[in-house]
Amino acid sequence: MSQPMSSDHDHNNSDAVPTRLYNPYQDLQVPIQNLYHLPTSPEFLFVEEARRQRRSWGENLTFYTGCTYLAGAVGGGSVGLVSGVRSFESGDTTKLRINRVLNSSGHTGRVWANRLGVIGLLYAGMESGVQALRDTDDVWNSVAAGLGTGAVYRAARGVRSAAVAGAVGGVLVGVAVAAKQGLKRYVPI
Amino acid sequence: MGTPETSRQPCPDRILDDAGGAFGMGAIGGGAYHFFKGIYNSPRGARLSGASQAIRMNAPRVGGGFAVWGGVFSTFDCALVHIRKKEDPWNSIISGAATGGFLQMRQGLGATARSAAVGGMFLALIEGAGIIVGKCMEQKQNEMAIAAGMHGLPGPEAVGSDGSSSGGSWLGGWFGKGKEAEAAGSGSETKVLESFDAPPVPSFEFK
Repeated sequence: MSQPMSSDHDHNNSDAVPTRLYNPYQDLQVPIQNLYHLPTSPEFLFVEEARRQRRSWGENLTFYTGCTYLAGAVGGGSVGLVSGVRSFESGDTTKLRINRVLNSSGHTGRVWANRLGVIGLLYAGMESGVQALRDTDDVWNSVAAGLGTGAVYRAARGVRSAAVAGAVGGVLVGVAVAAKQGLKRYVPI
Repeated sequence: MGTPETSRQPCPDRILDDAGGAFGMGAIGGGAYHFFKGIYNSPRGARLSGASQAIRMNAPRVGGGFAVWGGVFSTFDCALVHIRKKEDPWNSIISGAATGGFLQMRQGLGATARSAAVGGMFLALIEGAGIIVGKCMEQKQNEMAIAAGMHGLPGPEAVGSDGSSSGGSWLGGWFGKGKEAEAAGSGSETKVLESFDAPPVPSFEFK
C-alpha cells in the first residue's frame, strides 16, 4: 500500500509546520517584478507644470474655514456646556437642565465658531491670494496671510489695534508652520 | 450608476469641507447683501462705515447659519453612505430631510415634520435638476460622438458623476477645483480629420 502523501504532515505534527517560501511568479515569464519597481520620474512632463500643482483656492478655503469653524464650535460648545452645568439650580427638572445646557452650549459654541470661522475664511482667502500673486508655495505666503488676517480682523478698532493684531497673527502663523515642519521631521508618528 | 464621485474628499474630511464651504458662501453672500443694505440704510457721508458695520454684525451670523446647515447635512450624508455602502441621490434627499428636522427639533413635532419635508423637497429638486443636467450633457456628447463617426458610445458610464455628485456639487463644486481636468465623459473623443478621406479602418488580422 502506498504511503499517503500526507505523511509529512503526520511526521511533523508539532505546532510549527515547516514552510517554504513560494513565489507565485517563478514559472511565469512576465515582467511582474516591474509592478513593484515604481518609476521615480515625475508625473508631469514639464517642471514648470509640476511646480505649479498645488491646492486650489477652493480647497484651501473650504478646508481652513471648515477646520476653524468646527474647532470653534467644539471649543465653544464645551465651554458653554461647563458653564451651563454650573448654572444648574436645585429643584430644576431634567427638561429645564437640558434646556439650560443646550442654550448655553449652543450660544457660546455659535459665537466662538462664527469668530473663528471668519478668521479661517480671511486667512484662507489671503493665503490663496498671496500664493497666486507670488506664484510660489512657501512659508512666507502663510506669514503674510497671518499678518493680513490679524490686521483686517481688527481693522475696525483702529490702526494700532490692527497693527498689533496683524503682528500677533503673523507670529502665530510662523510658529505654527515651524512647529508643523518640526513635528514632521523629528516626531516619529 | 456612473463613475464614482472623485472630486470630493472621502467621508470624514467631507464634513469639514462642506461646513467650511457653506460658511464661506454664507459669509460672503451675506456680507454682500448686508453691504448693500448697510449702504442703503446709512446717512450720507457715513455710508461706507455703516455698510462695514452691518457686515461685521451680520455676515458671521449668516455664515454660521449656513455652516450649521451644511455641516449637519454632510454628517447625515456621510452616515448614510456608511450605512448603505453606496453613493446616490437618495442619500442627499434623506439627509436634507433629516437636517431640516434635526435643526427644528426643539420647536416640537409639527415644526420638525414641516422642516424635514421642506428640506427633503429642496434637496430632491436639486438632485433632480442635477440628474437632468447630467442626462442632457450625456445626450449632447452622444450626438457629438455619433456625428464624428463613432458608434456605440457606452451610455450611462460616460456621464461621470451625475447622481452622486449633485448632492455635493451644489455645495462643494462651487469652489474651483484647480487643475482638475473637466471630465468630458467618454475619454475617447475622436478628432475631426482635415482630409476628406476616411482614416484606414483597423483590421484585426495578424500580419
